[in-house]
Amino acid sequence: MPLVLCRVDDRLVHGQVVIGWGRPLAIEFVALVDGGVATSQWEQDLYRMAVPPEIEVRFAATEDAAARLAEWQASDRRGLLLTGDIETMAALHRASPAVVHRINLGGIHHRAGRRERLPYLYLTDDEARALVALEADGAEVFAQDLPTSPVVELRNIV
Amino acid sequence: MTGRWRALLRLFAVQGTWNYERMLGVGMGYAAEPLLEDLKTVDPVRHGEAVVRSAEFFNCNPNLAGLALGATARAEYEDVPGPQIARLRTALCSPLGSLGDDLFWAGLVPALVGLALIAVVFGAGWWAILGFLVLYNAIRVGTAVWALKAGLDAGMRVGSAISASWIPRAIARIGPLAGAGIGLAVPLVAGWYLRGFGWSGGSGALAIAAAGLAVARWFGPSLTGVRFALLSMVLLLLFRRMGL
Repeated sequence: MPLVLCRVDDRLVHGQVVIGWGRPLAIEFVALVDGGVATSQWEQDLYRMAVPPEIEVRFAATEDAAARLAEWQASDRRGLLLTGDIETMAALHRASPAVVHRINLGGIHHRAGRRERLPYLYLTDDEARALVALEADGAEVFAQDLPTSPVVELRNIV
Repeated sequence: MTGRWRALLRLFAVQGTWNYERMLGVGMGYAAEPLLEDLKTVDPVRHGEAVVRSAEFFNCNPNLAGLALGATARAEYEDVPGPQIARLRTALCSPLGSLGDDLFWAGLVPALVGLALIAVVFGAGWWAILGFLVLYNAIRVGTAVWALKAGLDAGMRVGSAISASWIPRAIARIGPLAGAGIGLAVPLVAGWYLRGFGWSGGSGALAIAAAGLAVARWFGPSLTGVRFALLSMVLLLLFRRMGL
């Protein structure tokens, strides 16, 4: 089965991902793409602790993940691709536009320079422009924190 | 490091300023302030940075927030680089959210509610409610005290401390107890409520339960418990108006 969800969430692995999306989508592995986490054993241990044993967590830096997208897509297990920022997801989209096609904005939270677009989505103007560019490049971008929440298309956010 | 008890008391209000922008962040900053006080005299610049860092975005189960609070406060005193502490805070959101939710919301609360309901059915009355409140809050407070101490003791090694602690073992035990408690309580409470309604009342309740299962399969996760309960109430009122 392919990667069934490509999600940007700066909290990375947490309840909304594992329970909220993981259960209804029957996720069997999470591909967590973050350069810092990929080289930090203690961070990996913490993220693994948040996931039930039946879900595997695969850690990768952006370049490594880009090279493994085809392998994950061809896997017989259902996967969720997870990045902590838009830049990383955009790089993965550029590496494989067919695999990383529909991009879910699940949680990007407050930090200096970001403005509230939705209660769970804060973006700087540069980030908003990057998302528009992603759609211009053929991706479909939508915001939805949980499967039970309404889908908000990008044009209604930026 | 002084101010542990003040920090603990403030932790009980950690959700007091919950908001989408920082979630528990401001509450964590408020609770961290007494712990960071001694840093002011040692390194005022670091103290300022630490206070700001402690109030950044943070989210986890509030009952385990003390682990993150204690660990990051100790890391500040140990002069761990700021970006690394920020990464620790971010990474702790995951296990402290998931383990805390498993332990409390999916384990302890349904287990104790199930036991309290069973006790009510068997005639314990208000004592069952009181017992539930006392036991639940005793465990919650005890967990908060332990969490802050464990975090302060472990610092950056808090991940190993959590793995080796009682929490994973407790989750493994409380989950089945919650399932058994609720599984036993539901038919008992249903029978208790439906006493005197006869077969028609029982059949109606069964029909609603069967409809709930069918509709849940049809609509999937978009049908939440609250939505189904509201739908059931509307249907019941409709049936009553129709004289059924």
